[in-house]
Amino acid sequence: MNITAIIIAALVVGGTGIFLGFFLGIFGEKFKVEVDEREEAILGVLPGNNCGGCGYAGCSGLAAAIVKGEAPVNQCPVGGDPVAAQIGDIMGVSAEGGVKMVAFVKCAGDCEKAEQDYEYTGVEDCAAMAFIPGGGPRSCSYGCLGYGSCVKACPFDAVHIINGIAVVDKDACKACGKCVAACPKNLIELVPCDAKNKVQCSSRDKGKDVMAACSVGCIGCKLCEKNCPEGAVTVTDNIAHIDYEKCTGCGTCAEKCPKKIISRAG
Amino acid sequence: MNKYVERLYNGIIKENPTFVLMLGMCPTLAVTSSAVNGIGMGLSTTVVLVMSNLLISMFRKVIPNGVRMPAYIVVVASLVTIVQFIMQAYTPALSASLGVYIPLIVVNCIILGRAESYASKNPIAPSIFDGLGMGLGFTIGLTCIGLIRQILGASLGITVFIMAPGAFLVLAFLVAGMNVVRDKMEKKGKPLAAPSGCMTGDCASCSQSAMCTGKLPDAAKKSAEQEAK
Amino acid sequence: MKELLIIAIGSAIVNNVVLSQFLGICPFLGVSRKTETAAGMGGAVIFVITLASFVTGLIYKFILTPCHVEYLQTIVFILVIASLVQFVEMFLKKNMPPLYESLGVFLPLITTNCAVLGVALNNVSKGYDLLQGVVNGLATSVGFFIAIVIMAGIREKIEYNDIPRRFQGTAIVLITASLMSIAFMGFSGMI
Repeated sequence: MNITAIIIAALVVGGTGIFLGFFLGIFGEKFKVEVDEREEAILGVLPGNNCGGCGYAGCSGLAAAIVKGEAPVNQCPVGGDPVAAQIGDIMGVSAEGGVKMVAFVKCAGDCEKAEQDYEYTGVEDCAAMAFIPGGGPRSCSYGCLGYGSCVKACPFDAVHIINGIAVVDKDACKACGKCVAACPKNLIELVPCDAKNKVQCSSRDKGKDVMAACSVGCIGCKLCEKNCPEGAVTVTDNIAHIDYEKCTGCGTCAEKCPKKIISRAG
Repeated sequence: MNKYVERLYNGIIKENPTFVLMLGMCPTLAVTSSAVNGIGMGLSTTVVLVMSNLLISMFRKVIPNGVRMPAYIVVVASLVTIVQFIMQAYTPALSASLGVYIPLIVVNCIILGRAESYASKNPIAPSIFDGLGMGLGFTIGLTCIGLIRQILGASLGITVFIMAPGAFLVLAFLVAGMNVVRDKMEKKGKPLAAPSGCMTGDCASCSQSAMCTGKLPDAAKKSAEQEAK
Repeated sequence: MKELLIIAIGSAIVNNVVLSQFLGICPFLGVSRKTETAAGMGGAVIFVITLASFVTGLIYKFILTPCHVEYLQTIVFILVIASLVQFVEMFLKKNMPPLYESLGVFLPLITTNCAVLGVALNNVSKGYDLLQGVVNGLATSVGFFIAIVIMAGIREKIEYNDIPRRFQGTAIVLITASLMSIAFMGFSGMI
């Protein structure tokens, strides 16, 4: 048994191990990225599902931004006020109450109210259907296709297809914005949770075409705009839009609307 | 059931690495062009697995936590080198046909995975039987696939099965078949263990779990919970 | 020069690392759902394998061969590769944060990727010198990149198709890989 060979082998492996140990140890210190411990604390408080609703790259992105002072402490829509308060404690500032938002689907044309041009059999995905000439089987080219790309996008199971259109469950919705991005017709908007009046239509067609396609669509008659005491409702391109900064929830627009397309519920 | 026999049963049937857990796919696809190759690879992996489980279980209280992974890697790599040279000497034909896949046993997820999840936490005797069970399960898996490919390819003359595309095809149908079995077992109320592996989010069996920065958020939470247990 | 080109085309396309040599299957199946992640993984693999081929080549030539301990290659290579990956991760995190954000997630997964160790060992068994070894490493990893991006593209398309229930998931991906492998076999007359 050649002792020299054994010793050389042991030295080579041992030497490699020791060298690599030193190498990594030294460079571990040299390349140490200073992590503010507040960032770790904030990361621990955040919900951790990396939904991107805050507008930053995941929870770690938001934590870094808050510590740098680029983001306010109440930026996380999922965590809401309780998490904002905790982050405020960590950063040593008080958290102002943010407005809770929810997603709202601006289409009311369900199976009973909306017309279909033809019967559709094919890929059951709204994003894929957007490529079909004419934008899908629905007579109203602006309406909800009802195949649930938004449902698939929602990480909180807050959107469901009920009677052919998407409906958001206000209690489950965390306003992360994924459904807004997923809808190929751009039908979903984030509105304040306590907004009492919402226009549930996106159709920019003229009144006659709207009525042919759907029994409840907005016809652009401007009665809401003329009667709003705050000037919060504007009708552009044959569709009404409410500015929630001005809206007081008086409900006049909803009363005057001949199509009853502006909801009254809170 | 005697706890040693239970470990064997677990490795061969309940958590069979090839059919149930779907670990170690690289050698499964590469060496199963004939049944003999499959048996050869399976048995050499079994030997390495048993020895590495034995050694790691022996030293489990001595190895410091921070250098756990490099220590396991050195142990496994040394064992593989030994096995490689024994095979070169005593079974040169097999060694030549398995080629570079023998040293690649080092990075076989089964070995480092069992070391991390079982051998480092359990005494010597159960660890040996765990290694034996898993290794035999792997061998059986490889042999079955090797047999199918050899019969269809060499005997029946459908050459595609001996070549690269055939490996993917056979494995695809195997996975589909296992899905049928899975559904049946779930209906009976005896669900099979879920497949593990990179990016399925199952970090428990992954050897690199401790240093991995690539965990998906759910996986990170799950493995944190498991660490706490 | 011509010899290097032959090595390169051979490793990248004719003997594609995933579709022919069956190295790197786990990340190939796991990371190929979207083209962006696939490209990120492919990029990280190119980076690591090329660097690893270079370093392991150096070690084999200047340490293992003079001491006549070539048989220690498996042990030494795997240790060096694991440390190299950890070092690269540290370096990127400190000095190139945007690159770390896009690639860094995949780096630890590459350590146990059989492709890295496989390429290093292949370089030794085929007797390549340092330059040939690096070219082989670079070409192999480019081959991985091509294969994984093509697979991701196909997977994005078949997501909308009507796949039989038992074949959904891994099984259909394996069948796709089998068809890709047949396609790549068409290159075998090239060199």
